[in-house]
Amino acid sequence: MVVPSAVTERHLALPTGLITAILLAIPGYFFGVWLGTLFGLFDDQNTGVILGYGFAVIGFLIGLGFLNYPLGRLMGWNMQPVPVYSDVDAVAAAARQGWTRYFSLSLDHKVIGLQYLVTILIMLLFGGIGAMLIRTSLLVPDASITPPGQYIMLIGLHAVMMIFITSAVILGPFGNYLVPLMIGARRMAFPRLEALSFWVVPPAAVILAAAIFWGGFPTGWTGYPPLSEQAGQGMDSYIVGFVLIAIALVTSGINMLATIITMRAPGMTWTRLPMFVWGIFTTAILGLLAAPVLATALIQLALDRTVQTSFFLASNGGSNYLWENLFWFFGHPEVYIFILPAFGIIMDIVPHFARKPLWGYRTGVVGLFGVTLLSWFVWQHHLFVSGIAPVLRPFYMLSTELISIPTGIIFLVTLGTLWRARVWYTVPMLFCMGFLFNFLIGGISGVYLSDVPTDVTLHGSYFSMAHFHYTIVGGEIFAMMAACYYWLPKMTGKMLSPTIGRVHFWVMFIAFNSTFFPLFIAGILDMPRRVSVYNPALQGLNQWVTYSAYALFGSMLLFAANLIYSWFFVTRPALANPWQVRGLEWQVPTPVPVNNFDRVPLIVAGPYDYGIPNARPVADFGGLVGATGGG
Amino acid sequence: MPGRWPISAALWVRPVAVRTGTPGVAPAAADAALETRVLATGMWLWLAADTFFFAAWWFSFFYLKAFNNNQAWRPAGVDHPALAFGLLVLALVILMAITFWLASRLLYGSFLFSLLAPVSLVLAIAACIFQGYGMWHLGFGMTQGGYASVFAGLTGAWLIQLVGATGWLATVLIQAREGGDTVVRAHSAATFAWFPLYLAAIGVINFVVLYLVR
Amino acid sequence: MGLRIEPADRPHAIRLLIIWVILSVIGVIAALQIPYPPGNQSIQGDDQAKTLQLLTALATPVFIGVVMMVIYSAIFFRRNTPELVDGPPMLGHTPVQVAWIGISAILVLFLAFVGITTLASDGVARTVGVPGRAIGGSTTGGAAQNQASELEVQVIAQQWYFTYRFPSYGGVETTHLEVPVDRPLDIHVTSLDIIHSWWAYELGVKADANPGVDNEFHVTPQKTGSFTVRCAELCGLWHGQMSDTEGKVVSQSDFDTWIAQQQKDYAVIASAVPSYAPSYFPAPLTKGS
Repeated sequence: MVVPSAVTERHLALPTGLITAILLAIPGYFFGVWLGTLFGLFDDQNTGVILGYGFAVIGFLIGLGFLNYPLGRLMGWNMQPVPVYSDVDAVAAAARQGWTRYFSLSLDHKVIGLQYLVTILIMLLFGGIGAMLIRTSLLVPDASITPPGQYIMLIGLHAVMMIFITSAVILGPFGNYLVPLMIGARRMAFPRLEALSFWVVPPAAVILAAAIFWGGFPTGWTGYPPLSEQAGQGMDSYIVGFVLIAIALVTSGINMLATIITMRAPGMTWTRLPMFVWGIFTTAILGLLAAPVLATALIQLALDRTVQTSFFLASNGGSNYLWENLFWFFGHPEVYIFILPAFGIIMDIVPHFARKPLWGYRTGVVGLFGVTLLSWFVWQHHLFVSGIAPVLRPFYMLSTELISIPTGIIFLVTLGTLWRARVWYTVPMLFCMGFLFNFLIGGISGVYLSDVPTDVTLHGSYFSMAHFHYTIVGGEIFAMMAACYYWLPKMTGKMLSPTIGRVHFWVMFIAFNSTFFPLFIAGILDMPRRVSVYNPALQGLNQWVTYSAYALFGSMLLFAANLIYSWFFVTRPALANPWQVRGLEWQVPTPVPVNNFDRVPLIVAGPYDYGIPNARPVADFGGLVGATGGG
Repeated sequence: MPGRWPISAALWVRPVAVRTGTPGVAPAAADAALETRVLATGMWLWLAADTFFFAAWWFSFFYLKAFNNNQAWRPAGVDHPALAFGLLVLALVILMAITFWLASRLLYGSFLFSLLAPVSLVLAIAACIFQGYGMWHLGFGMTQGGYASVFAGLTGAWLIQLVGATGWLATVLIQAREGGDTVVRAHSAATFAWFPLYLAAIGVINFVVLYLVR
Repeated sequence: MGLRIEPADRPHAIRLLIIWVILSVIGVIAALQIPYPPGNQSIQGDDQAKTLQLLTALATPVFIGVVMMVIYSAIFFRRNTPELVDGPPMLGHTPVQVAWIGISAILVLFLAFVGITTLASDGVARTVGVPGRAIGGSTTGGAAQNQASELEVQVIAQQWYFTYRFPSYGGVETTHLEVPVDRPLDIHVTSLDIIHSWWAYELGVKADANPGVDNEFHVTPQKTGSFTVRCAELCGLWHGQMSDTEGKVVSQSDFDTWIAQQQKDYAVIASAVPSYAPSYFPAPLTKGS
């Protein structure tokens, strides 16, 4: 093996940054449109719009500097790999400092986590405004406030924007920031993939929002053809945006799994892994394997819309059932992509504040994996009334109902941990308790939908809409709020105001239940989803829901106010370990150093060993100098 | 770097020296071992994801074939492109994959590697060109039923990955020369070798599905 | 390893058990009092309402149990000292875990069993010639299997209304649906353009309308009255408008009068519509050009 002595490192003199990225994205779009028109296949411009979005994204990524490394390597230049694990100084030197690092391609998982957080919160505001407009329109039972064309656009934008957000809202900010800290690693396994998994999300959001200029798309988030083939160019936003999210899910899946499998610190055995890491691990499995199936379906839809293939056109040898199968084969694991990290958060935070060991650690992990495994075998419960394979209905009914067993385990473990504990009711803990209540309702209503005879009445009604809002908003978003109040002090170095936090929790909890519980009743009383015109008898109910929804939006504004108040006005610096817990991520200084750990920690005990006589500290930080990994 | 933006716009694709150091120095043995595991794990994860991608296409094939809606799955006059042409592309890819796999696993750093690896690159490029040519001469139009749709989509998706693999292969090859950074990371070439092999295997399944299944 | 309750657990366990039993009894009794949709206008709707009732009655103790635990721990397992105190180091309790998983498994399997038998009874009922007990029968039943007494109705969906054809009455096409009481209906749902879903709320039928697909459902109305039809699958601009409150279940003689009138009216336009078929393939949706 030849080892050259001193080599000059070279790379492209590409001025990278957000400005370049945007400056390249714009001509990229017009180039794509021009190319699409050049092929001149059909005059409705779908080819041009899709290619335009594609080239805009490529231009954006090049402008950020994603091309530098692969192109440099292709040119034969000696590219510096991401600093290796034992090279502490190189890690520090390679990291860009100052606020500009948040607006450029950074390979530091902590920067990426915060980039994700801010992006997601901005998207959340957008999606939330969509929800408010929808609810406003439903104040009246006819389409007099919002014309049907705009209403249907709002439905689509709110739905898809929220799906984008909820796919990433825990995995992105908290997964990226915390996983290396929790397993004692200095960085992620594939920092470039990690950065890519973030940097496709802002273009996805922008492209989705661009659908407004085409009049939106009429299909909601499910994109069922042939409606989605009948739709105008707004549909192309749906396709490209979702492809980008699929890319984010696959890249972050590879990165998270490889990191957790290979880069755990010495002594971080599988049974010492924090539950949050297990939540991310199982989520990553689902994202990695489900998103490619979505990509296939989206490519087929794009081909149908551009070069006139007929994957989904029954009269030309296709079938819309193909989309329904592929989409829900992705779509059901996707909903567990939302909730598994939330399970991880709950099972991680509760023992820390209960100050008791997690009650049944292995059972909890088995529960997570049970959900992961079963989620592949349930997708046709979305299709009970579609007419697909009626003989398979009993199987999917059984598999769907079986999934409540591993889900029940999550409750078992959490309640067992609370048993005879001395719980410190902080704001994160309040949100965990709120999660338990909301997700219980969400889970039980799911059983109603899994039963074929009752699903016939409830399918496609507000009942199912209320069900998934209970699981996603009441479950995932509540868990995400718990995570914000719990981990943001570590991530930003500033405590959030607990007083505003408590008000925020109670307003959000009450407003949430007051918004969505009546919608179960609306669904049972014959109100279908996604309608701008409904039964006038239900107007009172809908008005109540709308006013509650305003209060729910107000509670989110309270959260935003808390962030602004606690970050800019009355700042309270966070200690390294403000909650006095055993989690490894709390044992590093605040703010977290660029290297995470000066020396690779030697893990000697589990994170939840509270109350155990003579329990060892969680890690030995004077440990090895050298590689991470093993375990 | 953001401060240099207007000036260096002109220098976009010009390499500049930014730091002299010893990037070619072998990392600590433990780091190298870890990196081997990281790369191998990442590759296997990617192949798992890609398998689901292609499986969705095969599912589409058999699903639409079983439905045969409006008797338009494969209307009269629509047949697969010439068998010999498909076989040619397949043979090129298999040969390429096996050549590189053997070269990177058994002969890395030896004279034979520098001989065989370029051969595999040439084979890969040839396969891309032939398949790309084939895509423009399918013998049927996109609108001609389900089979035409699946053929174009599946072969196209496979071709795009083949092109990507070819670029990656070229990178590995270029970096494998003396002074390249792959010199100190032989395992990255060996890990990459799984991908062409995988694509060749997918190519075989695609061939059976698209050409042989009636 | 036996189910041994530690002394410290006992007061909590006993208290919780008593509260749970009391609240559950009250909850289950209350759950059984609620009238469940979609009512009993059809045998299938009645089945659905009963299943809803069963599910609610089973879910109530589960819901009460978990919520009670959450509230109880919020009250009694709260830290009341200024400094942090570690709780007792309980790492798990195998019998409790096994019991929890076992009970949830039994509940789930019971529900699946009930659901599957409700579904399967349809197929059995059809072969012996009595009204089906549930919707969602298999589509494999050929013409030979169809009972002579079953009335075939084809539901045709398009943007944004439903029409109905009666093959046994010369393929007559109507804009509202009237069906005779106590006669099993064999409903075939199809679409002319995109996916819709035919939801006859009071009848307890929901069936997607797919282009080129004949989606078959069975229902037996058992009470006269009116029912509402809505579209339950997003189908574009006027999806919410795609409803009809004029569905009727009438007596056999009223139905005969009504269908005769429809046939008379239909004679004028019969030549303009395609002849009856199980499904219709719309022209390919080519865009542009």
